[in-house]
Amino acid sequence: MTPRQRADRRAGLVFLAPALLTLAVLTLYPGAWVIWLSLQQRIPVFGIERFVGPSHYLFLATDPRFWNAAWVTLAFTAISVGLELVLGLALALALRGQRWGRRLALSLLLLAWALPSVVTAKLFEWLYHPGAGLVNFLLGGRPLNWLGDPALALPGLILADVWRTMPFVALLCYARLLTIPVEVYEAAQVDGAGRLASFARITLPLLRQIVLIALLFRTLDALRAFDIMFVLTGGGPAGTTETLTVYAYRSLFQTLQLGFGSAIGAAVFALVMLTAWGYLQMLRREGLAE
Amino acid sequence: MTTAGEPGRRCSRAIGGALLPALLVALTACADQPAGRGDVTLVFKHAKILGPSDPLPRLLREFEAANPGIRVVSESLPWSADEQHQFYVVNLEGGNPGFDVMMLDVIWVPEFARAGWLLDLTPMVAKDELAPHFPAAIAAATPDGRIWAIPWIMNVGMLYYRADLLARYGLEPPRTYQELVSHVARIRAGEHDPRLDGFLWQGKQYEGLVVNVLEGLWANGTRLLGEDGAVFPDPERAAEVLAFLRMLIETGVSPSWVTAADEELTRRPFGNGRAIFLRSWPYAMGLFELPDSPVRGKVGIAPLPRHARGSQGMGATGGAHVGIQRHTRHPDAALALARFLTGEHAQKAMTSGVALNPTRMNLYHDPELVRGHPNLPRIHELAMAARPRPVTPYYLMLSTTLQPELSAVLVGVKTPAQAMAHARRRLEYMLAGILDGPR
Repeated sequence: MTPRQRADRRAGLVFLAPALLTLAVLTLYPGAWVIWLSLQQRIPVFGIERFVGPSHYLFLATDPRFWNAAWVTLAFTAISVGLELVLGLALALALRGQRWGRRLALSLLLLAWALPSVVTAKLFEWLYHPGAGLVNFLLGGRPLNWLGDPALALPGLILADVWRTMPFVALLCYARLLTIPVEVYEAAQVDGAGRLASFARITLPLLRQIVLIALLFRTLDALRAFDIMFVLTGGGPAGTTETLTVYAYRSLFQTLQLGFGSAIGAAVFALVMLTAWGYLQMLRREGLAE
Repeated sequence: MTTAGEPGRRCSRAIGGALLPALLVALTACADQPAGRGDVTLVFKHAKILGPSDPLPRLLREFEAANPGIRVVSESLPWSADEQHQFYVVNLEGGNPGFDVMMLDVIWVPEFARAGWLLDLTPMVAKDELAPHFPAAIAAATPDGRIWAIPWIMNVGMLYYRADLLARYGLEPPRTYQELVSHVARIRAGEHDPRLDGFLWQGKQYEGLVVNVLEGLWANGTRLLGEDGAVFPDPERAAEVLAFLRMLIETGVSPSWVTAADEELTRRPFGNGRAIFLRSWPYAMGLFELPDSPVRGKVGIAPLPRHARGSQGMGATGGAHVGIQRHTRHPDAALALARFLTGEHAQKAMTSGVALNPTRMNLYHDPELVRGHPNLPRIHELAMAARPRPVTPYYLMLSTTLQPELSAVLVGVKTPAQAMAHARRRLEYMLAGILDGPR
């Protein structure tokens, strides 16, 4: 390394320092604090504050409520993000092919996306109403107990979440679709490619990167899903819709078990970090993150 | 907490409260500066009072007129009870809350007292002063025998029934749950209406479910917490109650959707004439008696029925108390406001204005009030026999631990025995540090 390069490197570090410092203060410090808390039994109401080591983690390891919440979180994330992706993509393609009313369709999409999730949840509370709800009416008046049946509650929530967040994926994909020049398709047509071939060889590969980014955002959001289940089912029935964040909220804010709740929070943190890391690997392979 | 010396901050905060009356009070408070020395500004935190005419702003102005030198800024809390609790906890734990007087849900009082967030009123308030309030309300305000809050608004669980339907079949309101079940069978057999449901209650996984189960336990002669603090001291009777609730759903006496139902989701179908019985709170009566209500004049109220092994059914009490924040700079003024709000005059105004039930027993026979609210004497009887939910600082921990387990029984995922065993195991871990902790 020449002295010039060394000097550049030093200058680079100096310029980076504010960003790194901010990151450290805003993420590393609270993260470390949560982990420190999770090693304590700390319940301020009762004046309890003592170090208990990994005992909360050991309890969670055999806690059926925790594993159930973890499973619910993963199932919710996998299914809702999967559906959002497929439907969002289909919608984006449909939008591109649409001749009129595009602006109206876009505004309607944005409306669903822009509604606060608590409002969405209240909306679905009535849509899912067993007697007076629109969903059962459309299904031919069968009195399906959407939010009170352990087999239907999670699918019901997933549907509500897909309705709300699919527009996000659709809009991202649509924006990318608009940037693909028509000439590419025309050239393919000249070469004898059918519609399916142009979709598989042109559209999909060109959408890959934006889809990955949409997936990253949506997955991390879904892993932390909270308001929709909190408002619609309170985690019930029988805890079948209780995600890890709902469990953490109940422990942290409702019952003020700061230590125990932080242990659940740390588990969510680990899960999110792991997923984010996985996505980063994929993005790196795509050349999107270096 | 705040004196008139820093009105700017106070104004913006009150505006955040978004309640128009609060805004007006805040604006006048700001306009009147500079304030003389000795002037006191109290901040009163309360839930939004719903109803045709919220009497609170007028009452607060009356209080100000009667107590020159004291101003009251009223700020409303977030919408749901969960959020209100969180608001209080975060601000009180932070140690610098911007309020002096608080409206408290009855179940929070022991917790807040234990945490040291409430001013101990025992030295200032004589026991006799509480005597005119319902015993169940006093019990909830005086955990460990000290006075931590003053009762303000009363709530009690009760049974609503369709008096017209019962009369058509010559039936009396049920005294036992078996009678209730057979009444439902009899009436539905006669009515041939598939849209008529039997018995509605609150089975969603939330606080209301715990209330419904508590009432069932009392109706079967047992409790949730034994003398020694153990949960389900009589597991056999508790299992009977839980199995009965499951049976109601399995046999269709209650529609299967009660497992997702809260107060409003059950109140509406009953109010539309689609159910025979409903377990709810007194607020529902006012809505059933509205001029355009399909069940107007057809609804009766009765005590909750009892189970086979109980001597009497009884409702759980709820409602609100007024407490004072421990580090208030104006304890005397705050106490004066608490006394005024919980006093006869203010409770009467709240009852006639928004049909919230008073905690003062004599108001239930006040001729003027009874004229507008003819059910008051009946509610008085029900509230006299009612019980508070377990008065313990860890009630919320108890409740949130029980909710998924009880819900699991209702939807048939767990047997009562399994659910009780799981709840017990969790509570033992959660409470281990508390029961043998300091104090």
